[in-house]
Amino acid sequence: MLKTRGEKTFVAAITTLLLLFSFIAIVPLLSVISISFSSKSAVVQNLVSIWPKQFTLDSWSYILDRPDLWKSFFLTLGSTVIGTALALLITALLAYPLSKVEFRWGGVIMVGVVIAMIFKAPIIPYFLTVRGIGLYNNPLVLILPHILNPFNLIIMRSFFKEFPKELEEAAFLEGSGYFRMLFQFVLPLSKAVLATLALFYAVVIWNQFQTPLLFLQNTDWFPLQMKIRQFITDDNIIMPGAASTVDLNYNERTLRSATVIFAMIPIIAVYPFLQRYFVKGAMIGSIKG
Amino acid sequence: MAINKIGVLALTGALAAAVFTGCSSNNSDNSSASSPPAPGQSVAPKSEEVVDLEVWNGNNGFKPITKDSPLYNFYKEKLGVGVIQPYVEWNGGTNYLNQLNIKIAANEMPDLFLPLQGIEDNLAKNGAIADLTDLLPKYAPNVMQAIPQEVWDVVKANDPTGQGKIYYIPSVLNYGRETGLIRKDWLDKLGLEMPKTQDDYVKVLEAFRDKDPNGNGIKDEIPTGGREQAAWMDQLFAMYGVAMVEGKPDWDIYDGKLTYSAVTPNMKAALEFAAKLYKEGLMDKESLLNNKAKWEGKIDSNLVGNYFHWEESVNERLENINKNKGVKGDYSVLPILEVPGYKGFYTLKKMQTPAWVVKNTKDQTKLMATLKLLNNMYDKNNWNDLYLGVEGMHYTMQDGKATKLPDDKSTQQNLALSPYLNVATADFSINLYKNNTPDDRKWAVDQGIRNITDAQPYFKDIAGDGMPASVYEDYADINNRTLYVEYASKIILGQYPISKFDEFVDKWNKSGGEEVTQRARDWYAKVHK
Repeated sequence: MLKTRGEKTFVAAITTLLLLFSFIAIVPLLSVISISFSSKSAVVQNLVSIWPKQFTLDSWSYILDRPDLWKSFFLTLGSTVIGTALALLITALLAYPLSKVEFRWGGVIMVGVVIAMIFKAPIIPYFLTVRGIGLYNNPLVLILPHILNPFNLIIMRSFFKEFPKELEEAAFLEGSGYFRMLFQFVLPLSKAVLATLALFYAVVIWNQFQTPLLFLQNTDWFPLQMKIRQFITDDNIIMPGAASTVDLNYNERTLRSATVIFAMIPIIAVYPFLQRYFVKGAMIGSIKG
Repeated sequence: MAINKIGVLALTGALAAAVFTGCSSNNSDNSSASSPPAPGQSVAPKSEEVVDLEVWNGNNGFKPITKDSPLYNFYKEKLGVGVIQPYVEWNGGTNYLNQLNIKIAANEMPDLFLPLQGIEDNLAKNGAIADLTDLLPKYAPNVMQAIPQEVWDVVKANDPTGQGKIYYIPSVLNYGRETGLIRKDWLDKLGLEMPKTQDDYVKVLEAFRDKDPNGNGIKDEIPTGGREQAAWMDQLFAMYGVAMVEGKPDWDIYDGKLTYSAVTPNMKAALEFAAKLYKEGLMDKESLLNNKAKWEGKIDSNLVGNYFHWEESVNERLENINKNKGVKGDYSVLPILEVPGYKGFYTLKKMQTPAWVVKNTKDQTKLMATLKLLNNMYDKNNWNDLYLGVEGMHYTMQDGKATKLPDDKSTQQNLALSPYLNVATADFSINLYKNNTPDDRKWAVDQGIRNITDAQPYFKDIAGDGMPASVYEDYADINNRTLYVEYASKIILGQYPISKFDEFVDKWNKSGGEEVTQRARDWYAKVHK
């Protein structure tokens, strides 16, 4: 309960400020949404600000009718789900032994991990290596380069290190080996860190752009972010006698807006449910990392 | 265990995906040369097998050219060579260049490609691209013919190895294409003549501002303006004889020597004039903030009296104005305005950037196929077909007349070979407009045709024409005109007095301008010896 007038003013001030911030944050988004629902004519004349003008669904129906966009969407969704699961598995499999003092090579491997985290491979050797493995123009490149992130590995290792020793000793007495230990006891009790890292990995894979840009040339395998850019890239070359687009009720700007919203919807939809893990995840990293 | 299951699922999924791609990636090679060339095609020899070439230039979001796709077959039939083009997005050139560099570093240079930002220099020095001096006349005479001799002379002078060889095929523009454009219908409505002098021009702009030429009862007209980075307002600079391409200052003879136009007294005078227009509200207040879409939006809203762009494509703006406001306007060519003491012109650079370089390869079949492709591509008889593209994809037949379809990135493949853009002539452009316009669009398109003819007397081929980008080497800021944009913008906005211009010249010279100027003059001396 608020007691003094000072506290009340303080809360009111904070609330106003935050409302203002969220308003500022939401205006550009609203503008993009309204452009996607406005007619070309209104958009071309720069009439649209926060509300749609000359409301139309033409841009959206054009976008949603494009099979290649849906294909990219499901490709990205699929690689995010598979990639995240795989990433968690691989990360756990490496983080667990590294968290054990009795693992002799742990120190050496850990140094390797830290080096990999600090010194990123330059682009051309990286390109040659990945191509050498046979991932060039191969859709697996959407997943494989992302399945082990040194930073995430360190977070998970730190989490495992905090695991109560007594519990493990008890399990060993029962005759359980390391693998059973990991999958039957440790992981089920590590939901917080798993959820956090899942989110980290999923966001990276969902938003990936640089990797597919480098390694995918076949447009059939373009993930969503690349597809979107293909949509919104600008034509600066003017063709003599180009066909008239006057009769179409959409143009690049309306399509661009609709596409951007389209790509945002899934993230916006899951974000509220997962947001708290983000905070937790940052905490894990900072305290124990 | 849940996690366990997910893990197994993930592995299975990955395996499944691997199997799937393993199957799909192999099907590209087993169907070559299946369809015979159409009978009666003289360009396509029937006996030889068709050679596939990888050809790179920019793509703005269209579909790639894959083996046996409609466009691939079209090129094969027309030009006798298979053209494969993966999707390499242009994105202002940055992305294209990145991908190209990686490809070259990986030792997988395309057979024929568009070089960018002077990379052809190093490639030529390293022997990575073919010396075309003897090959072109022998195997691709059409290329030699399509491009004027004086342009070839510049190409030879630009040879980075200093041996006077031809390493690239330049793009050429044979007519002036960008001018000031003014609403002739507004002039007529207000009873004004087409301005001839700068004073006339200012009076016209004032009338546009004050007398409501668009007749909506609101003083919302924008007499003139431009876009961000002080670009696309060349009409204000042209009358002072400032060499300039789309807002980028260029090189011409000033005071007897080749000089960067941004540091000349002409530029100073032009900026002073622009600042005056800005102050008096004769120039769009947002001139230095407008991007392409925003500025064109204003024009399309029937608000802008005078702008700078392609004289031939005024129809795009006019048709939009008609759609938005129901007004059939008229954008005519704004003549070069007389200013005492100056000799004005619109800038023409005949020699554009390089269009193609050829990979240096020991594989004679590929090299010959590349030259054959070039030869047939530069054959003017093929141009109209190359322009139209694939029937049903890029154009349709309407009443026996071929009509281009509107751009559609989800269905159309990238029309990669457009020699008519690389060697642009007024005649070809005019013919395209005449032959491909349905009657209901004639009122707008015909204005473009008229403008091409009207504009030509005002153009001058500047002395810096053909100067290679390598003069800017190590001075990226000068090439990007960073300093110029800063000073020009602030002077136009009135934040800096015009006297600051001298400070700019000084800074420009000290930050590398002197060195670049010296290189530019050396180049000029070499070309004109």
